[in-house]
Amino acid sequence: MDQEFHIEERRGAVAPVIAVRGEVDVATAPQLREHLQRVIADGSSTVVLDLLGVTFLDSTALGVVVGAHKRCRELGGELRVVVADPRLVKIFEITGLTGVLTITDSLHAAGVS
Amino acid sequence: MSDPGERLAAGDRIELRFPARGDLVVLARLVTTAISARAGFDVEELEDLRLAVGELCLLALQGSDAQHGDLRLELTVLGDAVAIDCSLERASASGGVAPSPDEEETARLSEQILTALVDDHGRQSEDGAVRAWLRKRRREHAG
Repeated sequence: MDQEFHIEERRGAVAPVIAVRGEVDVATAPQLREHLQRVIADGSSTVVLDLLGVTFLDSTALGVVVGAHKRCRELGGELRVVVADPRLVKIFEITGLTGVLTITDSLHAAGVS
Repeated sequence: MSDPGERLAAGDRIELRFPARGDLVVLARLVTTAISARAGFDVEELEDLRLAVGELCLLALQGSDAQHGDLRLELTVLGDAVAIDCSLERASASGGVAPSPDEEETARLSEQILTALVDDHGRQSEDGAVRAWLRKRRREHAG
């Protein structure tokens, strides 16, 4: 059911970029959590999470994002979330996360050239 | 229901039962979207219900060992609303294991999402049976 779900990692100029595609829900969020934990454990305190290809997010996905944000903060960096789909932005808004996370609507605005 | 465009009427009820696995929660989202569209909800409301029913399934699964259980979803079309009832059946309780901080955070987010997207929702647990429910009214459109 999650055949479209895909995670890709690339090295950005200032931080690694984790690009996600498809639906991030209770079934797929654990893969995203593992990926983010590994990248942060490898020494990246700032990470760009590219959600431009994501079509659905639920609370488990948001929980993973919040967890990664906290770990980045503890290390002196930040998690930069890139999301543009109004349906997804709405989910960040209604959960109050737009006031907590660093959210931009483009990779350029997140510092990725 | 042979005509895919046929509207559902008040009192129509649809049931779905599936193994309580995370990768199958998508079935609840698909069915809810299809049924709600035929109950007259608009595109934005369908998106709300698609997200909300997934959260409802998560609420039903909270604190349970759902590996051997089933999720039963019941959708009832009301006059100007849809009522969705999600219950976890044939699963055992997780034996009082405290939720992890991540699980607590997810539960808090889930609660916020449901509060924002539906008119009414709740969860009750009794004798090992967990039931979560929501109700959402259609928006009134001008004209």
